[in-house]
Amino acid sequence: MTELKYIGKETPRPDGPDKAAGRAHYIHDLSRPGMLYGKVKFSEHAHARILRIDTSKAERLPGVQAVITAENTPEVRIGFIRDNFALKKGKVRQFRDEIAAVAAIDADIAAEAIDLIEVEYEALPGVFTTEEALADDAPLVHEIDPRGRPRNDNRLPLRFHHESGDLEAGRAAAKHIASGDFSTPVIQQSCMGTAGCIAEFDLNQQLTIWAKTQIPFLAQRDFNQALADMGLAGKNARVIVSALGGAFGSGLDTHAYEFISILLAHRTGKPVKIVYNRDEEFAYLSPRQSSQVSITQGCDDEGQLTFREIQVWQDNGAYTSWGATFPTVMMLPATSLYRVPNIFFDAKLVYTNNTYCQAMRGYGNPELAWALESNLDDLAEAAGIDPFELRLRNCNQPGETTPMGLKVTTCGLKECLQTVADKIAWPQKRSQGKRRGVGMASLFHVGGGGRIYRSDGTGMILKLDDFGNVNVYFGGVEMGQGMYSALSLAVAEALGVKPEKIFINPTDTGTCPWDVGTHASRGAFMACNAAIAASKKVRARIFERARALFANEAKKNLKKLHKKNPDFKAADFDVEAEARNGEFELQDGFVFLPAAPDESWLRVDLSQLLRAIHFREQGEMITAEAFYDPPNELPDWEKGYGNMSATYTWGTQGVEVEVDTETGEVKILHLVAAHDVGKVLNPQTLKGQTYGALAQGIGYALYEEVLSEQGRILNPNFRDYKIPTVAEMNFPIDLEFIETNDPEGPFGAKGIGEPGLVPTAPAIANAIYNAIGVRIHDLPITPEKILAALKNK
Amino acid sequence: MTHYDYHRPETVEEVLGLKRVLPAATFIAGGTDLMVRIKNRVLNPPALISLRAVTELGGIEDGEHTRIGALTTIDELCRHPLIAERYPLLAQAARRLGSRQIRNVATLGGNLCNCSPCADTATPLLVYDAQVQLQGPDGSRQVTLAEFFVGPGQTCSSPEEILSQIILPPPPADARTLFMKKGRVKMDLAIASTSVVLVLDGELCQEARLAVGSVAPVALRLPLAESVLAGQKLSSELSAEVARVATTEIAPIGDIRASADYRRQIIEVYLRRSIDQLAGIVQ
Repeated sequence: MTELKYIGKETPRPDGPDKAAGRAHYIHDLSRPGMLYGKVKFSEHAHARILRIDTSKAERLPGVQAVITAENTPEVRIGFIRDNFALKKGKVRQFRDEIAAVAAIDADIAAEAIDLIEVEYEALPGVFTTEEALADDAPLVHEIDPRGRPRNDNRLPLRFHHESGDLEAGRAAAKHIASGDFSTPVIQQSCMGTAGCIAEFDLNQQLTIWAKTQIPFLAQRDFNQALADMGLAGKNARVIVSALGGAFGSGLDTHAYEFISILLAHRTGKPVKIVYNRDEEFAYLSPRQSSQVSITQGCDDEGQLTFREIQVWQDNGAYTSWGATFPTVMMLPATSLYRVPNIFFDAKLVYTNNTYCQAMRGYGNPELAWALESNLDDLAEAAGIDPFELRLRNCNQPGETTPMGLKVTTCGLKECLQTVADKIAWPQKRSQGKRRGVGMASLFHVGGGGRIYRSDGTGMILKLDDFGNVNVYFGGVEMGQGMYSALSLAVAEALGVKPEKIFINPTDTGTCPWDVGTHASRGAFMACNAAIAASKKVRARIFERARALFANEAKKNLKKLHKKNPDFKAADFDVEAEARNGEFELQDGFVFLPAAPDESWLRVDLSQLLRAIHFREQGEMITAEAFYDPPNELPDWEKGYGNMSATYTWGTQGVEVEVDTETGEVKILHLVAAHDVGKVLNPQTLKGQTYGALAQGIGYALYEEVLSEQGRILNPNFRDYKIPTVAEMNFPIDLEFIETNDPEGPFGAKGIGEPGLVPTAPAIANAIYNAIGVRIHDLPITPEKILAALKNK
Repeated sequence: MTHYDYHRPETVEEVLGLKRVLPAATFIAGGTDLMVRIKNRVLNPPALISLRAVTELGGIEDGEHTRIGALTTIDELCRHPLIAERYPLLAQAARRLGSRQIRNVATLGGNLCNCSPCADTATPLLVYDAQVQLQGPDGSRQVTLAEFFVGPGQTCSSPEEILSQIILPPPPADARTLFMKKGRVKMDLAIASTSVVLVLDGELCQEARLAVGSVAPVALRLPLAESVLAGQKLSSELSAEVARVATTEIAPIGDIRASADYRRQIIEVYLRRSIDQLAGIVQ
């Protein structure tokens, strides 16, 4: 690669001004002519039979145009194992179960109508912990499976398992062993923009849906299936994504409210909008799963890890979303963070009558890292080895293949560890006393896509116009993370035009090529690789046409020059002959011959050349498409083997804390985050994304927890669900980006969307242990847990 | 559902007159607590009588006693030079109340009338011996803040009365003051808060005023702990004893924000630290 002009330079994001000024159009801002407002009636029980639903009063309320229940609509099944329904029939399995819905001419009437729907229940005993769910006499959350076969227990039919090496031999070889049970809570994605959609049918029964989604094309598939369920087989759902106020995984599945909005739109023949308010977002949207992880690791006298044994239990809640597949990502660090020859990993999921959960940033990785990296410090202590030293001795290396079959191309873990140790002043700060301490933790994550679906591909269309503008059609989603920034720089760089000539069009299944979804930190990696591939095609076509057309355009330039300055002397240059060779360059929006790069008349503006290609007999427009599907494999999850990603990211975070042993408060004094990012695409957006991830990591570590009692959420609001604000982030943060220039990465870059929050919590916990000698096993690390642990010390 | 009439009178007389004809109406000032309850349908008033246009309820008057209009916003308290100089605890507490946006509209009168045990302005006003003026159809009366707070969400005023002024006597001369607040994060409802005023004469504590919030049905003064401290020679042992006594005067509850034990612990630690800090005792 020649010198980069745009990639790696601090560049303001193209969507920044409108978003900062409140001019971007979020789902909340959208309206359609004749639009109705939908509202959902939710269950008032965690587990109950529905004996009777009386909608008559709601139907009579003026302004109400439809009231639907499972009784008067076609059955629409949702979820990837099809165990959920848009509207529930017969029984409810969680507090947020959708029982009925209305469409009315305004939101107030819709809400009033919801209150008029009367539901009679027969309460059933519920199960609210994995232990309760697994008890012999536990009530069944689902009596039959999605295929109608009777179920005997509350286990999910999903298995995630990995074994490699010889666990018993590894255990026998261990001189030092540490075990622990660790847990993480249910937490909220806490998007600034709440969930919502508008569904609208045209008179051909074709559906358009404006959705808050990270997976427009998988959503299209789900919605088309729903249309088939509704008797509209062969009809299509066009999914359009408006500006997104954050998603963090909450848009990785389709949701009941979207299907309800489709049902209401079909029933009324009018567009129907459902937007959740904050209370509804908290209570009725799927948060991040909780986890329980039992881990044992052992090492020899030199600190070489000899085995790792991990059992995961996951409370799935009442239904199954893609979030149930968290163990697929847990398996990555479980098998591949540090070198461990003998590994056992198993994850089991159970249904409960708690709220069902879904994806969130990191997707199982923060949960596993919490256990693994906390336990590693315990092991270091048992072995009498410094925790930094223990990590270095087991550090992964470039070129290795891990026990899961993950092919490590580039690996900056050693540099990350060393950078953190240097910046945090390890080991001096390890023994400073005064209730202060430092700790570190590392991460391993997919960085080159993540094949959890048959295709991990993404398409891109570049459409050039007469003005030299490049219109980009891409199926991934800008949800606030800054992908449009990376993408516009990548197109500019790869094509050779200025970034301000790049226009990224709204994500729309009707106009954009397929993309599996913006997840697994794959957005920029995939988009930029697709941009490079499509740009190559554009350049090749332009250069091919330039053979015949370039000389004439250059001569026009010369003529203009002579008009302005009759004394101008052009260099003696056979432009026809040079152009016929087909050797061109395109940079900053000018096409020129490498043989004469600086001669002004031989620099033809791209728009001028494009017009010459267009406006002639048998003219052409330049459009190119590319589909990039990375070189990775769909793993076998029951064996836990397969190279899921084209490259992997690494990182280490170090934290210095001070603990108040009388109030239990943890004060962060300094945080160092060193991440192997492959290559920095735009420092400004990368920093923004990493700072945001660190804040989420700190929230996970110290504050955040969705509290519930018998399935009912107790803190469905920001008054009692606390996320960090700028006041909690008031300490020095060093971001250190290690550039390993990955061969598969676009310009060398790896995905970096999720990693920032993965190791933050264990790094903080390890620092707390260093400061005051207590080990916290359950997130969040609240002051009361610290005081209790000190008391029991 | 959220339908109500909205009245915007401009004088106290009009306010009281409206309330006479609309007895079920609710008074509203900043609305930062009230509107949340209306939106959550905890309250469903047929009408709101806004006090925001009643200019006579605003302003801060200097004098032997300082009179703060009930409509004074929390932000005004944060910035007013007289408050900063004479009643610094009130300014400190005001700065810890909610977010900037909340402080811009929330009023001092509203914070008191809401009568939450965690009202941030309550403990400073208690240690400054504040009185509140209530105005009703039968004229006005003045009660101490301790009398005004009856229970959570419950004041001694009758439904026809409004709180018009907060009256502060001159603060003790040369007082040392400290406000402390514990939240789960910085911007939070207090899970415990303390206001401490000490007047020192060398190593002797001449006068002590202690108030605590979020640890009883109402914010309250701690007469027993004050009596242990007043007139005594300051020491770290004495601070610890005062703080221990204080925990016998409170009745915290446990809820999703904090356990009762933790609230008790914070009160003990914060009072001891406040006294130590104000007395210059180095631990």
